[in-house]
Amino acid sequence: MCMGGPPAPPRQEQQDAVLEVRVQLLGGGSVHNINDNADILSEILARLDGRSLAAAAGVCRLWAAVSRRDAVWEELCLRHVGPASGPAAAGHATRTVVAALGGYRRLYRLCLGPALDRLGRAGALAHAQARERLSLSLSLSLFSIDCYERLGGAGGGGAGAGRQQPPSSLLFLCKPVDVS
Amino acid sequence: MGTFPFQWPMDPASSAGIDASFLPSLLPPPAAPAAGSDDSVSYYGAPQMHPASLPDLAAPFPSRDAAADLAMRRAEEEVAGIRLVHLLMSCAGAVEAGDHALASAQLADANASLAALSTASGIGRVAVHFTDALSRRLFFSPTSTPQPPAAATDAAFLYHHFYEACPYLKFAHFTANQAILEAFHGCDAVHVVDFSIMQGLQWPALIQALALRPGGPPFLRITGIGPPSPPGRDDLRDVGLRLADLARSVRVRFSFRGVAANTLDEVQPWMLQVSPGEAVAVNSVLQLHRLLADHHHHAPIDAVLDCVASLNPKILTVVEQEADHNKPGFLDRFTEALFYYSAVFDSLDASGTASPMAEAYLQREICDIVCNDGPARAERHEPLSRWRDRLARAGLTAVPLGPSALRQARMLVGLASGEGHSVEEADGCLTLGWHGRPLFSASAWQASPAVAVDGEEDNPHNSNTSNVSSSGGDSNNSAGSSSNGKSRSSGVVGAAGNMFL
Repeated sequence: MCMGGPPAPPRQEQQDAVLEVRVQLLGGGSVHNINDNADILSEILARLDGRSLAAAAGVCRLWAAVSRRDAVWEELCLRHVGPASGPAAAGHATRTVVAALGGYRRLYRLCLGPALDRLGRAGALAHAQARERLSLSLSLSLFSIDCYERLGGAGGGGAGAGRQQPPSSLLFLCKPVDVS
Repeated sequence: MGTFPFQWPMDPASSAGIDASFLPSLLPPPAAPAAGSDDSVSYYGAPQMHPASLPDLAAPFPSRDAAADLAMRRAEEEVAGIRLVHLLMSCAGAVEAGDHALASAQLADANASLAALSTASGIGRVAVHFTDALSRRLFFSPTSTPQPPAAATDAAFLYHHFYEACPYLKFAHFTANQAILEAFHGCDAVHVVDFSIMQGLQWPALIQALALRPGGPPFLRITGIGPPSPPGRDDLRDVGLRLADLARSVRVRFSFRGVAANTLDEVQPWMLQVSPGEAVAVNSVLQLHRLLADHHHHAPIDAVLDCVASLNPKILTVVEQEADHNKPGFLDRFTEALFYYSAVFDSLDASGTASPMAEAYLQREICDIVCNDGPARAERHEPLSRWRDRLARAGLTAVPLGPSALRQARMLVGLASGEGHSVEEADGCLTLGWHGRPLFSASAWQASPAVAVDGEEDNPHNSNTSNVSSSGGDSNNSAGSSSNGKSRSSGVVGAAGNMFL
C-alpha cells in the first residue's frame, strides 16, 4: 500500500476505505439477491454437485423450478462425463436425444449419480479420472436400456398384464460394491 | 475395542494358514500367542488402531475362541470341499466307464459330503447343481427328457435375471454393438440380424448410438430371430413394437421383422429379406455353440455359417463362452464344466446380492452338459481358438475389435462389479474373465473379399441361388424345396410385420 503525502491517521483512512467498498457493494442503497434473477440463480445452481442440487429443490418454489431445469442438470452431467473439450461441445443433437430418453435430470438420478457414487467409493474421484472410468456414451447407452424397459408392455395389450416387471437394468449400479 | 475377522480368501491354496505376513498394514500380533494352535492369529480391526492401545489387547479376550473356532470350521469346510470335488470327479469317471453301481455309491458319498458344506457359498453352491445333474443322469432313463422342455417365457425370465446379476451379457451386448457401430460407419441403410432377440435388450443402446452418430442416423432395420410364441401371444412382435417406440422417440427411421424358428438352421437367407445396398450385420450371442450338435453326422453349424456368408455381412459379431464343454469324453467334459462354472458362481457370489434366478439360468446349462448326450445336448461350448478355425474355414476373416471397444468394455465391467473381473484383448478379440480365468469371449468377423458375390440381384431368391453356387457347398439349396422339407417349418411371422415410422 503506497501512501502519497503525509500519512493520515491510519484508523480513519481504513474506516473510509471500508465505507467506500460497502457503498459500492450495496449499489448505492439497494440489496442484490440471487433470487432476483432466475437465470443468475440457474448459473449458480449449475455449479453444485448432484446431491446439493437435488436438495436445492426443497428450498422454495423458485429454487424448485430453477433446479428442475434440464439445462442445469446438463451442465452437471457434462462436467463429470462430457467431452474433454468442455460441456459446450456435446451439442444440440445430444440434447435432443437425451430429452427424448427422459432428460438430463433423470440421466443423473438413474444412471450417472449412482455410477459416480460407485466409482467414488474407490477413493476420491477427480473429474479427469471420472472421464476415464465412465463416458457419456456409456451412460447414454445404459440410460437408453432403462428407457426401453420402461416402455415395456406398450402394445403388448392383454399379454403384458401380469408380466410387467419394474425396470431393473440399472440396479447393478446401486448394488453395494465389495471393496474388500 | 473389538476384534473383527477379516475376509477369508476363497482360494483353497491359502488354506495353509494365515500369518501376520498377510496383514502388512496392520499391527503385529501381541507377544503372547496361544500354545499349539496355529490359528492363534488375532484379528485386528481398522488399521487406525493406535499402538498405545496394544497393551489392552495383550490380555486374553473372550472372542478369541470364537475366532479360532471360525478358523477351524473354515479349514474343515475347505477340506470337505476338496474332497467333494474329488468324489464328483470319481463319480463322473465311473459314469464314463459305465459302472453304474460305483457311480451311485460315489454319488451317495458326495451327497453326504455336501451336507457338511454350506451350500450358500463357495464350492458348495456350484457342487449342489453338479450332484443334482449327476443324479438325474444316473437315475433317469436317458430317453425321457430329464427336465420339461423350457418354456420360452421361463427362458426369457431367467435370461433377464442373468443379464442383471452379472456383467457377462452386458459385456457381450456392448462389445458387439461397438463393432457393429464401427462397421456401419458411412452406411445409410443398415440391417441387423439378431440370432436370438430375446427381449431385445441389446438394441436400445445401438439405436441411441446411431441416433447420435455424426452425420445423423441411418435407416435401421432389425430382424429378430426367436422361438415361436405360445398361442395367444406374439413375443417377437411385442419386442419389435418396443424397439420401434424407442427408435421413434429418438428419431431413427426403423423397421423390425420377426422370424420365428426353433433352431437357427431352419432360417434360410430369403427369410431375412436383405435388401440390396444395405449393410448387414449378423449378431450371435451364445448361439453358435448350439449348432454343433451332431444330427445324423451333419452339424448344422456349417449350413448356418454358409447362410451367414451368403448374406455378405459387413460384420458378424460372435460372443461365446470360453470353455471346452464339447469334448467327447464325459469325464473331461465334466471336469472342465466343474471348474468353469465354479468360476462363474464365484463371480456371482462376489457381486454381493444373491440371485437365485441367475443361478437357475446357469443350472440349466450345467444340467444340459452333464445329463444330455448326442443331439439332445445343446450347450456345446468351445474355446475361441476353435471358433477361429471354424469361422475361417467358412470363409470369414477376423476383424479386430479396436481400442474403443476395449475401453468401453473395461468401463462397463468396472461399473458393474467391484473387483475380480477383467477384460483382456488378444489378437483383436476381447475376453472377460474372473480372476484371470477367461469366461466369455467376443470377436468380430466379415466375409472374406474372395467369397463376396458381386452383382447381387434384387430378387432374394436369385441372390440366394447364386450364393449357393459360389460358396460351392452342399448346403441346402433353399430356393423353394427345403423350406417345405421340414414338417414343422419355421414360417416367417408375417404378423410381426414391418413397422415403418
